[in-house]
Amino acid sequence: MTLHLRARRVPLALAASVGAAALIWALWLTLSTERDAILLLVVLTVMLMVAVLSTTLAAPDEDLERTAALHWPWRRAVHLLAALAVVLVVLLATQPTGARFGPAALVVRDSAGLLGLTALCAAVVGAARAWFLPMGWAVVAAMFPQSGTWGALATWAGQPHTSRPAAVVAAVLAVTGLVTYALLGAARRE
Amino acid sequence: MRAVSTAETATTIHPWAVHAEALKVRAGRHLAVDGLDLSLGTGVHGLLGRNGAGKTTLMRAIATVLKPAGGRLTLLGSSVDGRADLRQARRALGYLPQHFGYYPRFTVREFVSYMAWLKEMPKRDIPAATQRAIDRVGLSAKADAKLRTLSGGMLRRAGVAQAIVNDPQVLLLDEPTVGLDPEQRLDLRELLRDLGTDACVLVSTHLVEDVVAACTEVVLINEGQLVWQGTPAALAEQGDERHPGDSPAERGYSALLRSHLAEATR
Amino acid sequence: MSVLGIELRRSAAAGAALITVTVGVAALYTAPGRWSEGWMSLALTVKEYMILLWPIALAAGAWQGRREHRAKVGELFATTPRSRARRMLPVLVAMGASVGLAFLLVVGAGGLWIASTAAYFPPDVVAITLVGALSLVAAAWLGLGIGRLLPALVTAPVLAVAGVLLVFFTAIMRPDWMGAIMSPAYGSSPFYAFQTIDPRVTAVLALFMGGLALTGVLLLVARGPRTSVAAVLPVLLGFGAAAAIVPRDEAALVAPIDPVARELVCTDDAPKVCVTRVNSNVLDALTPLAREGLAVLAKLPDAPTQAHEERWAYPVEDAPTRDAGIVTITVRIDDHGGLAHPDAVVPEMVFGLGTGYGNPECERNGAVERAAAYHLLGREPVSDVGVIPEMIEEEPQLNAEAVELWQGLQKLPAPEALARVTAVRDALLACQDPTGLLSR
Repeated sequence: MTLHLRARRVPLALAASVGAAALIWALWLTLSTERDAILLLVVLTVMLMVAVLSTTLAAPDEDLERTAALHWPWRRAVHLLAALAVVLVVLLATQPTGARFGPAALVVRDSAGLLGLTALCAAVVGAARAWFLPMGWAVVAAMFPQSGTWGALATWAGQPHTSRPAAVVAAVLAVTGLVTYALLGAARRE
Repeated sequence: MRAVSTAETATTIHPWAVHAEALKVRAGRHLAVDGLDLSLGTGVHGLLGRNGAGKTTLMRAIATVLKPAGGRLTLLGSSVDGRADLRQARRALGYLPQHFGYYPRFTVREFVSYMAWLKEMPKRDIPAATQRAIDRVGLSAKADAKLRTLSGGMLRRAGVAQAIVNDPQVLLLDEPTVGLDPEQRLDLRELLRDLGTDACVLVSTHLVEDVVAACTEVVLINEGQLVWQGTPAALAEQGDERHPGDSPAERGYSALLRSHLAEATR
Repeated sequence: MSVLGIELRRSAAAGAALITVTVGVAALYTAPGRWSEGWMSLALTVKEYMILLWPIALAAGAWQGRREHRAKVGELFATTPRSRARRMLPVLVAMGASVGLAFLLVVGAGGLWIASTAAYFPPDVVAITLVGALSLVAAAWLGLGIGRLLPALVTAPVLAVAGVLLVFFTAIMRPDWMGAIMSPAYGSSPFYAFQTIDPRVTAVLALFMGGLALTGVLLLVARGPRTSVAAVLPVLLGFGAAAAIVPRDEAALVAPIDPVARELVCTDDAPKVCVTRVNSNVLDALTPLAREGLAVLAKLPDAPTQAHEERWAYPVEDAPTRDAGIVTITVRIDDHGGLAHPDAVVPEMVFGLGTGYGNPECERNGAVERAAAYHLLGREPVSDVGVIPEMIEEEPQLNAEAVELWQGLQKLPAPEALARVTAVRDALLACQDPTGLLSR
């Protein structure tokens, strides 16, 4: 029954995230002369998919969920990893097409980091509002990327795929978010 | 007692507060109310029936949420079945749905005031009317608590408060006693009796003892049609020891249902 | 209690306003150098940051727009006499007023910083700011309408990203005039200090945003699918009206020049030092430095007698004809609105020996010019890095060669050295290669 509750929102979120990515891909394909999508677009597409999928991190009726406490951390971790897989599969699938969303290292880094951050926020403020902070950070980082070590740490999502500090930040966020969300679950808010 | 406006003390030209003739109402594709004739005047009317009998659909139609698919329905003398202007009727209406939707962030007072505003009460009357409604349902202590902090029973009472804030002439309560503890239920019955002295109150409920205690009239419907209408005492006389039930009223209820079903299959 | 008060307290209005003010003020104050020049710079920078603010308002509207669906109040509200349009009015006012006011607060916060130093207040700033507030109101109302139409949880994040993409790609799109109509951030790229935004461009943005706002309202108050379809009309009409008014020529669209801002404001006494009106607050700081530079240049015969701020709008204008009596100075403004890099003023004036940028096709010799300039300045040549603000690195041989030439000049008698330096200057003026003129 709990699966049914979640299932009501998951198909919509899946359809919306994949559909939105497909729309952006199609727009770039038809309207642009370049093959590689610009950094801003790649980061925003990643963030969009992460934000949309993060709405599934809490079911509409959390109370029913907390009956079997033993298995939930694993289920939540799998749920999160599945979301990451969806984002990666969809975006990396654009590599052979006429509109490339890459480089692959950038997509992997930003997907893992932003999803981890969103999961972390979900554990604190609930799934509905979890995307606020990551979205804002990702937009600012992608629009105004800074150079230098501190700048690379602050605007990690917008750094080139070779940036070491950015990769470190993303990895830390990914792992922290995964562990926190798996253990705590989404916060219950109205 | 209700506060009455001068418009209301003018001679009422309608004999019945709610009058339905051969009423048909759809719930989805299913015709939940199928040829219902009903007349309700002042008093507390208990609406009894099995699940799926069409009680909620009937209430929704009277509350002007659903438009009838056929037949006639008049509310306080004005017709509500066509494309007529429903605003006049709605101003004198109070409704508590079975699944009470509310804004969790609003406080009780704010929500009741908001509903009073939605019912186009004059602005200067709203604060006093809100306070009165909250007091009547016994939520004065929680008037400034957010709705999401309330328990199930208190939430239902807040729902009753918003239904009565505009002193409606027609009050429709769908399962108002759900979630109330016995003492709260007694208070609600008292309130219903009080309201029924000068308004037409229609209460839909599963609990036969609530009907017996609070209602001046019982309306029994089954499969979208009127089965029986009469006083609770008359209901008790309908049944005897042969019929299932733990109280005379329950036995009367089962007796009436059984004979209605027997007639239907004939 | 009034319903508007309830909505201001209990809806997303307060949160949206808080986020808008926080993001806007933070964005401004992390880089005050971008807008410390004056009011128009501030207005343009805030316009650039619409890429952050407009999507916030749009997403906030969508978040609020799904309230009735999420709370499942539809059945209860259907029994009330008040029409849907009248019921939506307090929400519209609360959301609109909150984000509009938040925008004005952001601009005001920037204004506090520059109020004491900004000398010129262009009237266009008022219109730009008001239309900016209108843009945010339009975003909020459009978000409300879309949120009501599609009340899913996913709507708000999708609209946030859609908002960013819309503002960004319409700002850089071709044809230009379409971007001018549709993007709240159009025209915000700074090219020069006396730039402005054509009033017609501001007007067409207002028309389009007004259309969007009305579309949002119609989507919010529509009772059925037929009225919802009619909601596209206002935005189409707004776009149509805007397309009729919008200027199509590049001069009006791309960084138009404000002639009043560009006017020169000069000292009363000689030697005359002039700056543009928009920078007139630095005249007092610049004058002694400029006069020092003029005094150095006066060692040469037929030297310039006036110093003016460099006013060439190089992206849109050809190089101006050079006036022999005037030397131009590049004026830079620092984070607090004052003169930046005052130590660079005199060296920059003397480099080039008062001849200006010159024709790029002429043959130049960096070492020769540097040696000549430093001879006038009376000190040994050093690398430009650290002297000229934009220089970050330089060939080391350049300065070594210049030092050698300079030392050669020091050994000569003064009139001979001066004559050679003058020859270098005359060669530059005549577009001739000055190589070897110092070391014959």
